[in-house]
Amino acid sequence: MDLLRSEPMQLVQLIIPVEAAYRTISYLGDLGLFQFKDLNAEKSPFQRTYATQIKRCGEMARKLRFFKEQMTKAGLSPSTRSVARADFNLDDLEVQLAEFEAELTEIKANNEKLQRAYSELVEYKLVLQKAGEFFYSAQNTAVAWQREVEAHHIGEGSIDSPLLLEQEILTDPSKQVKLGFVSGLVPREKSMAFERILFRATRGNVFLKQALVEDCVIDPVLGEKIEKNVFVIFFSGERVKNKILKICDAFGANRYPFMDDLGKQYQMITEVSRRLLELKTTVDAGLLHWSNLLQTIGHQFEQWNHLVKKEKSIYHTLNMLSIDVTKKCLVAEGWCPVFATNQIQNALKQATFDSNSQLGAIFQVLHTKESPPTYFRTNKFTLPFQEIVDAYGVAKYQEVNPGVYVIITFPFLFAVMFGDWGHGICLLLATLYFIVKEKKFSSQKLGDIMEMTFGGRYVIMMMALFSIYTGLIYNEFFSVPFELFGPSAYECPDPSCRGASIVGLIRVRPTYPFGVDPKWHGSRSELPFLNSLKMKMSILLGVAQMNLGIILGYFNATFFGNNLNIWYQFVPQMIFLNSLFGYLSLLIIVKWCMGSQADLYHVMIYMFLSPTDDLGENQLFVGQKMLQLVLLLLALVSIPWMLFPKPFLLKKQHQERHQGRSYTLLHSIDDSPELERHHDSLGHVEFEFSEVFVHQLIHTIEFVLGAVSNTASYLRLWALSLAHSELSSVFYEKVLLLAWGFNNVVILTIGIIVFIFATVGVLLVMETLSAFLHALRLHWVEFQNKFYEGDGYKFYPFSFALLTDEDA
Amino acid sequence: MGFFVTTLIFIVTGIIASFCARICCNKGPSANLLHLTLVITATVCCWMMWAIVYLAQMNPLIVPILSEGE
Repeated sequence: MDLLRSEPMQLVQLIIPVEAAYRTISYLGDLGLFQFKDLNAEKSPFQRTYATQIKRCGEMARKLRFFKEQMTKAGLSPSTRSVARADFNLDDLEVQLAEFEAELTEIKANNEKLQRAYSELVEYKLVLQKAGEFFYSAQNTAVAWQREVEAHHIGEGSIDSPLLLEQEILTDPSKQVKLGFVSGLVPREKSMAFERILFRATRGNVFLKQALVEDCVIDPVLGEKIEKNVFVIFFSGERVKNKILKICDAFGANRYPFMDDLGKQYQMITEVSRRLLELKTTVDAGLLHWSNLLQTIGHQFEQWNHLVKKEKSIYHTLNMLSIDVTKKCLVAEGWCPVFATNQIQNALKQATFDSNSQLGAIFQVLHTKESPPTYFRTNKFTLPFQEIVDAYGVAKYQEVNPGVYVIITFPFLFAVMFGDWGHGICLLLATLYFIVKEKKFSSQKLGDIMEMTFGGRYVIMMMALFSIYTGLIYNEFFSVPFELFGPSAYECPDPSCRGASIVGLIRVRPTYPFGVDPKWHGSRSELPFLNSLKMKMSILLGVAQMNLGIILGYFNATFFGNNLNIWYQFVPQMIFLNSLFGYLSLLIIVKWCMGSQADLYHVMIYMFLSPTDDLGENQLFVGQKMLQLVLLLLALVSIPWMLFPKPFLLKKQHQERHQGRSYTLLHSIDDSPELERHHDSLGHVEFEFSEVFVHQLIHTIEFVLGAVSNTASYLRLWALSLAHSELSSVFYEKVLLLAWGFNNVVILTIGIIVFIFATVGVLLVMETLSAFLHALRLHWVEFQNKFYEGDGYKFYPFSFALLTDEDA
Repeated sequence: MGFFVTTLIFIVTGIIASFCARICCNKGPSANLLHLTLVITATVCCWMMWAIVYLAQMNPLIVPILSEGE
């Protein structure tokens, strides 16, 4: 069976001519069955042969990332259409990418310039409009005020103050103070501070007038929309002007020139509006060009990405090959499964043929003591189960793979803890949705949790199927029992059922044929009965699984030809486990068959404390005392049997193997690397007896104490099953039945909604995860520590298919 | 009596299931052996659970005592 033990793997050396190297790696990548070993591990990345090519690929990857960024800014997403292209040239692609990049950067820069000019013009127009309003209104009031003054003056031009009047008339325009002004825009949030600092800096000798701008304006420098105010500052003097300019710059206020001549203002406004329209069309044309370019890029983006990744990986792999002295060929070393030999040889032949090389590639199997990687050929059904096993530890090369049994026992133990066929049906429907929509989901990119759930859809399906079965056995449908398999075994003692709550029901028919009798649910003695049943069931299932584990250890020992392990590990372990816990299982079954009232706790404990005592009323069968004594002795004998012989025998074995090996092998200077490694693995010439003995002691103690603790650990099957059924029963009785009892539609709907949410949230999600976790723990620890070593490493071939998986 | 009859039913179901597996997905000897292992394991697990629950109820030491007001 393929899945039971790893595929046989071989260490292979390939000698490839240089011209065919690129193509060979490409074809091997398509095949995906060869794991390359890094022969240049001591060299730094810059010393390797193909470092320049990798740099080129890195540059192209950077350009592609830039394109992706631009595309996300434009809101485009690359189309997933993949066109199968024939042979393409890396150089051509490089040139194309460089062209696109140059064009894009140029368009970006131009766009930015145009945008900036546009924003400035918009601001200028605003200044013209608002400042114009100032001046217009100010002019009006000034004219009005002057007329008033004149009128007043003329009215008052009396004899009282002829001198004053003369003096006032004498004030001529040339003596008027010359006012200058600065106009511009300042961000609204800074306008108060702006005003304050202006006031302080100029000692109050400026006049500032601000007006709000209703919409947000795009700031030319920052490129984002900000609320602004138009301001006009009136001042006199050169020094004050410099101060004002500096303050404007500090506050990021943009200044624009303004003419107070009304005619010129109007001219300016029309010209600015015209220029704005022109610029807008230019800017729009620029943006259109940009998005068109990005769309063309977007069509081919995924393909380019894939190609560049492929190239990079090919060159990385080529860097792992060592170049021969003559520089005519490359040497590759790696692992491949034995069944793939023909396919690899074909790929090599094809590559050398396609690249018109004179030499052919050589495929040579090397013999080594190194431990090969582990490879299981899985399909989409067995893959998640294998991943569950691998998560704990990858199987050592060719040891028994617990995955074969995990496919069934894991969902089964889950179901023992989950047992409710109503919930099982819900789980099954949910996972069937995933399975039916498999194709669609596998091409999409899902979130983390959805990805995990989708990946485990077959596991969940098995879990749901087994849950339906155990639900039927526990007779729980959302905690409601049904009489599906025939009449119940119990009836009321009298027709009016009065004695039922004191004495209980009486047994009138044979045992309920399938599962737990429906009359138990809701009774007062339900828990004592079910607890006893489930605890004993847990022990029985646990002992069975642990025995399976030990037997798998026997298969391992037989396969590796390890006789020591068979006689001095397998046998005493079986004897120890079964003489204690196998005997307990036997007692449980006998007690059930006979209906005796024997106290099994008492029997087991006193078997150890006072084995020679009479059993009295706890006797289940004739000769029990004798049997117990024998079993106790066997168990006690098996402990030193596990502990002592093996280290001594290992020592003897080691001495036999290395007899007469007082000389070490002579090293020649030009030894190939494999022979050196070969010697290293033999180099455990030292045999530390104390180390081996301590190791065996630890192993023995672990097994002996573990036998008790692991058996007790299986009681979690009982605990979780009890929790599940109690939760389910509480939700049913205290939510649904309570809501039903009110006879009110509104309360009933609320009750149903609460029931559904509680069931889905607590029972279907939380309990599933909880039972999943505990079933996993039972497998990883209690089952696998009987036989699994799990210190291998996984076969990770060079494959383009895996590339896209990991980067996507 | 009922115990042995139902055990026989389980065995027969297991055999039928392995035949179905062989007919539906006949994909080479190693895959066939895997399917057979899976079917047998599943049958044994299901039978064990049923048998345990059945045996526990054959000669019970307590009977259901209904709660008040049932």
